[in-house]
Amino acid sequence: MLLTATAISAEAAQAAAAAAPRMDPLHHFQVIKYVEIAPLGLDISVSNSVLWMWISVAAVFAFFRYAMREPALVPGRLQSIAEAGYLFIRGIVDENIGHGGKPYFPMIFSLFFFVLFCNWTGLIPASFTATSQLIVTATLALGIFFLSIFLGFYKHGVKFLGFFVPSGLPVLLLPLMVPIEIISFLARPVSLSVRLFANMTAGHTVLGVLFFFSATLPWVGSWLPFGFSVVFTAVEIFIGFIQAYIFTILTCVYINDSLHLHH
Amino acid sequence: MISSAYAAAEGHAQSSGLPQFESSVFASQMFWTVVSFFVLMYLLNRYVIPAINDILDSRSKKIGEDIQQAEKSRVEAERVLANYRDQVERARQLTATTLDEARIEAAAIREQALAELNEELNKKKASAVEEIERTRIQAMEQVREAAVELAMLATEKLIAKTVTKPKAESMVKEALEHMEKNRIGMH
Amino acid sequence: MESLPASFIGMGLAAAGLAGSGIGLGFMFGKAIEAFARQPGAEAQLSKYVWIGAAFVEAIALYGLVLAFIIMGKG
Repeated sequence: MLLTATAISAEAAQAAAAAAPRMDPLHHFQVIKYVEIAPLGLDISVSNSVLWMWISVAAVFAFFRYAMREPALVPGRLQSIAEAGYLFIRGIVDENIGHGGKPYFPMIFSLFFFVLFCNWTGLIPASFTATSQLIVTATLALGIFFLSIFLGFYKHGVKFLGFFVPSGLPVLLLPLMVPIEIISFLARPVSLSVRLFANMTAGHTVLGVLFFFSATLPWVGSWLPFGFSVVFTAVEIFIGFIQAYIFTILTCVYINDSLHLHH
Repeated sequence: MISSAYAAAEGHAQSSGLPQFESSVFASQMFWTVVSFFVLMYLLNRYVIPAINDILDSRSKKIGEDIQQAEKSRVEAERVLANYRDQVERARQLTATTLDEARIEAAAIREQALAELNEELNKKKASAVEEIERTRIQAMEQVREAAVELAMLATEKLIAKTVTKPKAESMVKEALEHMEKNRIGMH
Repeated sequence: MESLPASFIGMGLAAAGLAGSGIGLGFMFGKAIEAFARQPGAEAQLSKYVWIGAAFVEAIALYGLVLAFIIMGKG
């Protein structure tokens, strides 16, 4: 009697659990391949991540193209924003690379706006955040990492290896410090990519949890997570900007390290 | 138990970790990230950055030109002002000299007028004196003649004998001198 | 110990690392406010570094979060 009751109640609970909305805040990071293309064994399928990457690229280009459609000496609103973005990146490049940083300006400009728009388009409901994919940020970070290594050896040759030997240290400490320097150098792409991806993932996870609660709780309780999700969306916009900014600054710092060996 | 229920419900996502760690989608995303980034960089570098560069350059050129123009205008204005001041100064000096000259001329004219007036007055006075003198002499002559006549008539009547003219004249002269002496004494 | 409960415990422990990031953020903003109170003129210059630092400190917490997610995948 008791046994059957518990069995029934367990069954009912299971049924209820299956019927109830299930919280899965990680679901929207799922990459879904829309079109599978794999010529010569190279997988270049178009997924939702790739689609939103394209949309971000198109948005950046469309924005700047539209803002600069008739460049006027006295700028309008959009032109002012576009110029402010340009001057902002130029300030970062001048500040962090300084002398000899001009050739890298287009790359850093594109990098900033690529990351920024990927972060921001991800906040549109039903969209996908390309920068919440570890592999996307890792690709960018590894590209920057290899670029900095290449630049270092291109500009300084073998002397670039001196980068791993901290100046002004007693020789006895060198066997300790050189591996640390090498490890910290190798950790650069990891930290660069994980920082961006983890920020985006964490922020969207929190948003997912809040949305879940505001959608499933009875109305008495739902307004609180709803209001908080509104606030957190604003925070996410800010974080998206800050992360793009940091990504750009660190890129500049790494390029600067390779261009100007320490003193 | 719960996790198995989850796994059963999930269906498509067998490994219930972060979807980001599924390596099956890595290759395509890597490829498209690289392609998207380079496409964006090409587009921005080709169309956007030169446009912004141009407009910023032309703006700074324009501002520089404006500043130069303003500087030029300032110099020009200063020159005009100096010129004007110069003119004013010259005009002032001219006025001063003219005034001085006028003053001197006026003084000369006044002097001359005064001199002419004096001269005329003197002349008039002289002619008046002369006139008076002549009139007086004439009157004196008439008086003397009348006195001679009178004396001759009187003498003729008194002494009934004719007095010769020279004698009478000397007598009149004597009388006149006497009279003259009296007149001088009166004055 | 069964692997599933152990992985849940591990996830919790990994997320406990967020505490360090919280302490760091508290220190940083506290010091920043102190600095702004002393030098109100330097606020614009300093706040830039504050936000950069905040992003760095926050990232440390997120490494813990990522670790937790990795453990979740292995469980």
